[in-house]
Amino acid sequence: MIDVQHLTKTYGSFKAVDDFSFRVDPGEVVGLIGPNGAGKTSTLRCIVGIQSPSAGAITVGGHDIVKAPVEAKRLLAFMADEPQLFDYLTVMEHLRLTARLYRVRDVDARARNLLAELQLSGKEHALPAELSRGMKQKVAIACGLLHEPRALLFDEPLTGLDPLGIRHMKETIVARGRGGAAVIVSSHLLHLVEEICTRIVIIDHGRKVADATLAELKTHPELAAAGSSLEQIFLTATAGEP
Amino acid sequence: MVGAFLYLTACSFKNRQRRRLQRLREPRYVIGLVIGLLYFYFAFFRRGGRRSASFEVPAVAAFATLMQFFGSLFLMAAAVIAWVWPSGRPPLPFTRSEVQFLFTAPVTRRQLVHYMLWRSQVAILFGSAIATLFMRPGSLAGGWTFLVGLWVVLMTLRLHLMGVALRRLSVASHGTRGVARQWLPLAVVLGAIGTLAATAIRAWPALTTLADGSAVVAELQRLAGQGAAGAVLWPFLALVRLPAAASPAAFWSALPAALALLAANYVWVLRSDAAFEEASAEHAERQASTRTAPRAAVKGAAPTPFTLAPDGPPETAILWKNLILVGRYLSLRTLLRLLPLVIVFGVLARNSGTGGIAAFIAAMSLPLAAMAVLLGPQMMRNDLRQDLARLPMLKTWPVKGAALIRGEVLAPTVVATAAAWLLLLVAALFGAGLRPGSREAIALGANRASLFAAASVLAPAVILSQVVVQNGLAVLFPAWVAVGASRARGIDAMGQRLLMLAGILFTLLVSVVPGVVVAAAFAFLAYQLTGMVLILLPAVIVAVVVAGECWLAVEGLGRVLDRTDPSAVESAE
Repeated sequence: MIDVQHLTKTYGSFKAVDDFSFRVDPGEVVGLIGPNGAGKTSTLRCIVGIQSPSAGAITVGGHDIVKAPVEAKRLLAFMADEPQLFDYLTVMEHLRLTARLYRVRDVDARARNLLAELQLSGKEHALPAELSRGMKQKVAIACGLLHEPRALLFDEPLTGLDPLGIRHMKETIVARGRGGAAVIVSSHLLHLVEEICTRIVIIDHGRKVADATLAELKTHPELAAAGSSLEQIFLTATAGEP
Repeated sequence: MVGAFLYLTACSFKNRQRRRLQRLREPRYVIGLVIGLLYFYFAFFRRGGRRSASFEVPAVAAFATLMQFFGSLFLMAAAVIAWVWPSGRPPLPFTRSEVQFLFTAPVTRRQLVHYMLWRSQVAILFGSAIATLFMRPGSLAGGWTFLVGLWVVLMTLRLHLMGVALRRLSVASHGTRGVARQWLPLAVVLGAIGTLAATAIRAWPALTTLADGSAVVAELQRLAGQGAAGAVLWPFLALVRLPAAASPAAFWSALPAALALLAANYVWVLRSDAAFEEASAEHAERQASTRTAPRAAVKGAAPTPFTLAPDGPPETAILWKNLILVGRYLSLRTLLRLLPLVIVFGVLARNSGTGGIAAFIAAMSLPLAAMAVLLGPQMMRNDLRQDLARLPMLKTWPVKGAALIRGEVLAPTVVATAAAWLLLLVAALFGAGLRPGSREAIALGANRASLFAAASVLAPAVILSQVVVQNGLAVLFPAWVAVGASRARGIDAMGQRLLMLAGILFTLLVSVVPGVVVAAAFAFLAYQLTGMVLILLPAVIVAVVVAGECWLAVEGLGRVLDRTDPSAVESAE
């Protein structure tokens, strides 16, 4: 569903992503992890069309994000770590706007279900200023899920959520994966990645350093000696710890 | 602790200037700086040079008495407004970083107040210096009495407004008990307002019989200088005397009273027991969260302009979104801000010689309609200029760049056009009462209906072309445009804005030229063939050509937007 081939992204002379390739099939939940500045956010932003790749190709559902951006974006949803809402639109108006942009017809029924799923029932007419940070995050996620995307990208999805919200968010992500969507979760919370992801891609200095299931990583000849936890494997793979 | 505050203020100032110097590496800021400096040179020094050659007496001295009178009235009005119409800002508007660092540090409330006073010095000193340059062209050395005097006035005003805000906060947080606690300042304010009102009522019959405006002002000056009204206005007059002093001797004689008022306000602020921390912290959070959002805070969810159907082009959805923005930010206060303009135009219209209420309304509507057409697109920013701050999110939408821009330019065009049409309609309806021979009557004369139809057709085209230019600049030079609530400061940024304004006007003229040429050729041919002077059809031709140009421009801009990297959109200063 998501196919990233030889992606390179440069900012001036700085190479943020360097010849990075990976793919995410339907039903997979892939954890994209790496140290600060490893190139995770640049990769995500290239996949969703916010930034153009400097080199390489990205397809979503067979549509090239550069050559056919509208078709590719129709299949995508990107949940950024910092929810960007319009201050002057209510929760329901955000959903109506999203529905129109993504051509969702039964917006009322879907919105009702999503708001219930994300514990936002009763907040339909609230403006962002009346919501907590966690609730704003949920509104952004509701907008992302409204058109039932086949490819979902989450950047630090648990930021600002309370324990119950965290549990529901994990369930939401896993449910979308089980429902056949291709999901990428970028997070520094390794226990989250360990818990919900079916495969893990580790990126460091813009380059892929590992791409395997947790079980495979634990038996990897170079990483196995590190220990059994993802944290130990991550630190070894990114040379954070000998 | 004073050392820490001084350090913070000095470092912030130094780093802000260093950042401004660093950005001069970019040519656009260098060009902006040159334009800004040239503006200052021509606005202040050149004009001052010419003036000093023709006037022996400094400008301030010539109007000292009038300045003192109006200055004291202005200060009085500022003080009264602060009591009856609060600004919504907390008494001490700390930033989020200051709240985080200072509110959690072992710092007393009095020290926090001192810090805010320290911090405000940069702006007050800069404002005083600029005003001195403006009022006393030539050199700062020659205008030192004005500079120091204005600093004392602004500092006292700052302290007084801070004190009023603290008192209001105390009243608000303690309810009726708060009113009892603040009975003295409340009684003083009410007594002052009552005294001035009583004086005005008593003098009203005499004022209405005076021959002209200058006689009225002279009588008001006399009233303000004696009796109870004189006592009420004395503190304000005592302050204004300082910058308005015509000589160093007058300055020194006015200084003690002004310093006493400054000291009194300082003590008044320090003695306040209002708990400002919560209000300041709330304000800081609000400011930080709306940094990339519209300028004002949304008060509530008003009804939407129309129901958005689930099907249809994305342009309509973006129009719907941006019209909601207008509805939720337009308040009675916004409309009241336009009142002075309406009054000015009303006075100008009345003095232009046209008589009767109908003619007055018609004469007032025409310049306002012109304003809606020419200034509306500058003022209405519910388009890409507002949304560019959210470009990363917009770029995830399955919408082509051209469609996005088309949707964005619609809302300001619709709103400004609606305003222009309404004013043109008012002018057309009330224009029937125009006095024969007046300028408006001649202009509207026999072809009034055609003229209004032509104006109504041209208005949206001219508005659209300006909005497209504004949005085009946002796409092509995102770092040159004020995005969201951000606004770069400094002489270089001011120069950039001047340059942008000139560019917009030039582009507008260029965009209209092809349509005007085609329309003029058509009108000439029609006149040659039929002998008729056509008005509406040429206007339609101009509008169609301009609309076509806008369409092509938006298509091109859309392609640029599709390739635009959000990191090109500079973050706010």
